[in-house]
Amino acid sequence: MDLKTTRNRIQVFLLLLPGILMFSIFTVYPIIKLFVMSFYRWELGSFHKQEFIWFQNYSAVLSDEVFRISFINTLLYTIITVPGQMILGLLAAVLINSLPRFQIPFRVIYYLPVITPWVIASLVFKYIFNTEGMLNYILYEVLHLTNRNIAWLDSRWSGMFVTEILGIWKGVGWNMVVFLAALKSVPMELYEVADLDGCGSIKKFLYVTLPCIKNTILFAMVMLTIGGFNVFTSIKLITDGKPLHRTETVLTWMYYKAFRSGKFGYAAALSFIVVVTLILLAALQFRIMKNRNEEGFI
Amino acid sequence: MKMRAVRKLLAVTILSAMLTFLYACSTQDILSDKPQKDLPQTTLDFWHHYSAQSPENEILTNVLIPKFEEENKGYKINAVSHEWADLHDKFIISTSSGILPDVARMDIAWLPEFHKMDILVPLDKEFSEFESVSGELLENALNTAKIGDHYYALPLNTNTKILFINKQVFADKGKKAPSTMQEMMETAKELSGKTPDGKQIWGLCEPALSGWNVLPYIWSFGGDITDETYTKASGYVNSPETAEAINMLKELYKANALTGFNSGDIPMTDGFGTGRYMMLLDGPWKIAELKGSYPDFQYETANVPGGKGGSVSVLGGEDIAMLKGGNKEGAWAFMKFMTASFAQEEMSKAGQIPVNKAALESATVKNASFSPFLNAITTAKIRPPIATWSEIDNELSIAVTKILTEDADTQKTLDELAIKLDALLSGR
Repeated sequence: MDLKTTRNRIQVFLLLLPGILMFSIFTVYPIIKLFVMSFYRWELGSFHKQEFIWFQNYSAVLSDEVFRISFINTLLYTIITVPGQMILGLLAAVLINSLPRFQIPFRVIYYLPVITPWVIASLVFKYIFNTEGMLNYILYEVLHLTNRNIAWLDSRWSGMFVTEILGIWKGVGWNMVVFLAALKSVPMELYEVADLDGCGSIKKFLYVTLPCIKNTILFAMVMLTIGGFNVFTSIKLITDGKPLHRTETVLTWMYYKAFRSGKFGYAAALSFIVVVTLILLAALQFRIMKNRNEEGFI
Repeated sequence: MKMRAVRKLLAVTILSAMLTFLYACSTQDILSDKPQKDLPQTTLDFWHHYSAQSPENEILTNVLIPKFEEENKGYKINAVSHEWADLHDKFIISTSSGILPDVARMDIAWLPEFHKMDILVPLDKEFSEFESVSGELLENALNTAKIGDHYYALPLNTNTKILFINKQVFADKGKKAPSTMQEMMETAKELSGKTPDGKQIWGLCEPALSGWNVLPYIWSFGGDITDETYTKASGYVNSPETAEAINMLKELYKANALTGFNSGDIPMTDGFGTGRYMMLLDGPWKIAELKGSYPDFQYETANVPGGKGGSVSVLGGEDIAMLKGGNKEGAWAFMKFMTASFAQEEMSKAGQIPVNKAALESATVKNASFSPFLNAITTAKIRPPIATWSEIDNELSIAVTKILTEDADTQKTLDELAIKLDALLSGR
């Protein structure tokens, strides 16, 4: 459509208007409101009359020991689950792509965890890793590999580890689908040329496949990092932050402060700290990928 | 030409949509059983946390609401069921957005928090007949609705915790339900150990270490967490009596005789019903839970074991409160109805312990499954009715967890807790 005429411009604007309105009301306005809230003492008893307190909420968040623990937990969750999902997803995609037959059944099998609701998957994982759960039954009573039941969910690191395994298990399928689509788009000629140059499978993967799907890798990395920082349901249902708030993540802690303690100003400040962190991480990832692009992928 | 056709199509579509809309509006009256003038004039929104599939909800929707609507022409009750924890959060969210019901059933522990949010109507200020209505209700239950000098709700049902013991095991070992805290500790240790197939058995189960869980021990030992005016914790939460109660729990945990509060532990009812937990303190709902999940399981109940402070359990239950901005007359009529003897007796059939004195004297209540709780209710105490309770509860839970699971020094941890609680109580 030619946008040079006013009539066409108005028409385009009118077509976009419902979308813009929805986006403004349900996304832009809440973000602005949240940002404003983060500068007020917005808590139980002050819903109708809030006091402007500058950066006190931000300083309260940054000096909070539980926030420090939850931030480290979230960061570690992201550092462990993002590469875990991507490597296994890419591996599955390469293997499925190389199959001459049965690609669709394998795709479905790998994708099943993705469509399993988080609540159900979390409760099943809790059942498996309970002190009296299935894993301990196998380790202690069937295989006699341990001399007692291990309390997987009762310490910070093992509790987080269980949620990380769940995160990887649920995410592999999505990565497989994304990478499989990218692999299909790699020109076959490049592999033929590599064959002529005497490249083996590993060299072809490193020098042909990876550079060709680097944009997909960046996309997956950014999306999964955001997803990693949004971990909530699995933590809430499996450990609920126990013991002593040591398995909290930023979102579960934000939820606790907002809806259990009624400290909305604190929770708003916390959410903006998370947003800034995510922007910085995404920028860093883009920068690294850009450098790789200029220097060659490997 | 093409443009004209599109315009025609658009016009026909809009016209059809308008006609459909008009028809839909008009069919409301055509399809309705009753003429418009007989329809209820005012709808009262009632939020509660009776489980949607529970007998309580059945009585509410099939007996009580129809009866109320029949007696109070012009009112229609829109009862909305929420999960217990969701309802608390729903109030907080809805307050900020200004959408609240007319009347609500709420946990007694939430009342101070919601009072601080300035969403509750002071009933004694608003209604002259408050005194006569509240005079029909149990005094200690009514106290749960008092904040400062005013009453912000009416008690709706009450509960407390008593001791449940595994009847078979106690009989096999020739033991009786412990009547003192000392006996309880010894019994819990004695009954702990392993099953013939090597599974751990714990003498006592506590599913959490919050105030609801540890206060019966603290109070029965003669300790407390604050003074009577809820303004000071130092000297109470770190008193020798409170420390003694916590030390008993610590000793039991170290002896592998107490568990249930860790994330990976067996859920309370399952552990008790399968013979892995020998004793526990819980409310009247445990009877229905055990009947549903372990119908053949044999258990007995007894009062909370006594100590220096007597046998003191923790008072739970729900209040019914009126929310600001709603229909006051309608909400008050519904509150009076729900706390009167008819509704209270009906609800007792579903295991709800009444607060109405007349209902408590009825044969239905005296023969109810919850009758063992009626005695304990008279001595049970309420958790501090203060707005900062959820934060105090969190700090208490953290301190007790550290003492039990990380072997932290009891007195030192309680001294540190006292400083934190003093700050919370003074609003710092």
